[in-house]
Amino acid sequence: MTTAAATASFAYSHTVGFLAYRGRGFIHPIDLALGDDGVMYVLNRGGPESVGRLEHKRVCVCTVDEGYVGEWGTGGIEDGQFWWASGIARAADGRLYVTDEALQRINIFDPDGVFLRYWGEVGDEPGQINRPAAITVAPDGTLLITDGLNHRVQRFTTEGEYLDGWGEFGAQAGQFNTPWGLCCDAEGNVLVADWRNDRVQAFTSSGRFVGQWGTSGEGKGQLSRPSSVAVDGDGYIYVADWGNERVQIFAPDGEVAAVLHGDATTSAWAEDYLAANPDESRARREANLVPAVNPWRDHHRETSARVEARFWGPTSINVDAQGRIYVVDSCRHRVQVYRKNV
Amino acid sequence: MTLTRDAQLGAQRITLADSETVRIAHLLRRAGFTPTRAEIERAVAQGYEATVEELLHPDEQPDLEIEDLIRRYHVDQNSLMLLDSSQGYWLYRIINSRRPLEEKMALFWHGLFATAYGKLNHAKAVVNQTHTFRRHGLGKFADILLELSRDPAMIFWLDNKDNHRDAPNENYGRELLELFSMGIGNYTEDDVKAAARSFTGWTIENTEYMSIRASRDSFWPYGRIDWQFRYRDDDHDDTEKTFLGHTGAFNGQDVIDIIIRQPATAHYIAGKLYNFFVSDRPDEEAIGILADEFTRTEGDIRAVMRRMFLSDFFVDQSVRLGRVKSPAELVGGTARLAGSHRTPEWTICNLAMDVNFMGQEILNPPTVEGWHTGMEWIDTGNLVERINAAGAEMRDTSRPGVRAVIDRVKSAGNNLAPQQLAEACLDALGMFEVSDATLDSLVALAAPWGEVRFDRPEAAACAEERISEMLQLIVASREYQLA
Repeated sequence: MTTAAATASFAYSHTVGFLAYRGRGFIHPIDLALGDDGVMYVLNRGGPESVGRLEHKRVCVCTVDEGYVGEWGTGGIEDGQFWWASGIARAADGRLYVTDEALQRINIFDPDGVFLRYWGEVGDEPGQINRPAAITVAPDGTLLITDGLNHRVQRFTTEGEYLDGWGEFGAQAGQFNTPWGLCCDAEGNVLVADWRNDRVQAFTSSGRFVGQWGTSGEGKGQLSRPSSVAVDGDGYIYVADWGNERVQIFAPDGEVAAVLHGDATTSAWAEDYLAANPDESRARREANLVPAVNPWRDHHRETSARVEARFWGPTSINVDAQGRIYVVDSCRHRVQVYRKNV
Repeated sequence: MTLTRDAQLGAQRITLADSETVRIAHLLRRAGFTPTRAEIERAVAQGYEATVEELLHPDEQPDLEIEDLIRRYHVDQNSLMLLDSSQGYWLYRIINSRRPLEEKMALFWHGLFATAYGKLNHAKAVVNQTHTFRRHGLGKFADILLELSRDPAMIFWLDNKDNHRDAPNENYGRELLELFSMGIGNYTEDDVKAAARSFTGWTIENTEYMSIRASRDSFWPYGRIDWQFRYRDDDHDDTEKTFLGHTGAFNGQDVIDIIIRQPATAHYIAGKLYNFFVSDRPDEEAIGILADEFTRTEGDIRAVMRRMFLSDFFVDQSVRLGRVKSPAELVGGTARLAGSHRTPEWTICNLAMDVNFMGQEILNPPTVEGWHTGMEWIDTGNLVERINAAGAEMRDTSRPGVRAVIDRVKSAGNNLAPQQLAEACLDALGMFEVSDATLDSLVALAAPWGEVRFDRPEAAACAEERISEMLQLIVASREYQLA
């Protein structure tokens, strides 16, 4: 699908991914970090947390052109292991930071995925955390996290030293209700997906409230439990509108530039599977994968459950310098890639 | 306190509250899942009949208010791709729903129309079926059967996708009559054949692709795809049929309309409801009352349930504490009482496993006949599981429900002698009827402690530990394991 806007258009490119408990593929991916040369570090939350499923929790390293690099990490409560891994960010030196909402940690890994150390103390005092959700690297090299159940944003050094923070529970400007995703623009301004307030809030780098987008609803420009936000160099703002199972793109003037619902096609990894299973592949080709649906309950989610190409649980959105937009499609175990054309 | 002879619990039944409170606590246990003391008090304040009406109209209460939080923190419960994830999701509903009878009815219909993940390899399809039970479970039985006949999980489970105009498959038609509506002995083989032919063409979208995926348990490349009902007129046998003495070019809807008018259907469904909500021991007179209501209202389940809850036989002492809690009731109800899992916690999968270990894999019943209930829930192995699981919930004094119980016990007095402590704990748990043997055991536990004191700060932690120990013993009691 291509959606035209006044000065830019956004076109579906391709899909990366395949459902796999281990190895080449994803299982309930929740976030990704972008590396050099098209490398993606895809964080798999997996679940549920039963013994036999812990190894599903891992980081799959691959490329945007569907090359498989490898994987690292596993589920567990030991140092460097994941339980409810939630956010991943990559620093300029290549180190990777992974938040964990159950173990209440921010883990540090070297560029090869070797665990270095973690920090995290549960509580609501400055510097303490309660379900750290997303993490991003600010232009000045500091780390920002959404501190979900403390309803605030906190800033740390890359070594875990607390610097500052802002926010409290509420629905007024500058307050939060269980914030999830966040990002920075080139100037260090901070955008936060204020998840349970159905809006995105903008702040200066020092935490002063600047503005907000979205009201509760499913109409154009409205939001339902936004999970993630990204911003590009032209000032376009990309919002994973999780509860509406879509992505909305806001132009710099605040108008909705595009609404994406998902256009997934079979990835190269999926094609490999189908080639190895010709009877299933034939039946799939003959099936109507875009049937008319009319679920009586929870319309957007149930439609996504029935129409495979659509987003289902978009938990993370990223944009790179080449204008590629990456949507982590958590319930479909894949990443849908779009391209911005100016 | 009153004492009465009682065959159910032992030589003496000790009653610790007035009869209205006892009746309402019984209603809330049977129509829901282990009410808290505060919920009982609220119901007593509004009265028995008003409470019945509130239970019968779940739509007047909000739906699950933490559904978004569950789906956020448990991504696997957003997709519901896996059985264990889906079982956890249902437990969250049992624990947190403000529509207890809606969940109880869903469990009832799930047991009656037992559809199992094991054949479908599609957990969300079974979850979707339970949502249908939530939506229609207190409605007209004709609507329930119609939705069931259109339900993709049922179509797959009983092979109606293979029921074709030129090659009928009788599986669904047979079970519709035998297990779902009338009971064996009330129809002929010809009726089964006619029912099957009437449901030809009732299938699911993309039948072949979905069948291949299910048969090889394929969730590739991108997870399960929800099944959808599809009616294929070109595959429907529209010729004349004779069914239960009626003749016509019947379709499935016509068969359902005939079924619900049968006295056998009224009696069968009344018996199943009686067994689930009242007693394992059939009472033909009571079942007859419910069957008459079913017939009078043309199968209005809400009316039948109202008739049941307002009948003397429902609250009679002979049935109170006479029914073994199913594992889902026990585990979900105890978690409600303890106040655990009011927000998403990863340990929900452990609760789901507890239910499985006790012999009830919800969403995956053992056969089309569902579970064998009553005393069959209890054997030496799973009794230990039941006691351990219930005790574990009460052990953590930081849980809000346990804290509320402790605070209530404390309000009974600064110094509690062993019997006072036992009775205060029973009251705080909403357990107003126990046998003298159980009370003696509780008092014996507390006897070595002497007076438990709450008036000295240095003794407060110890006193709370005593209460926790008492609560753990109470939930291990026969009375708590029953409903």
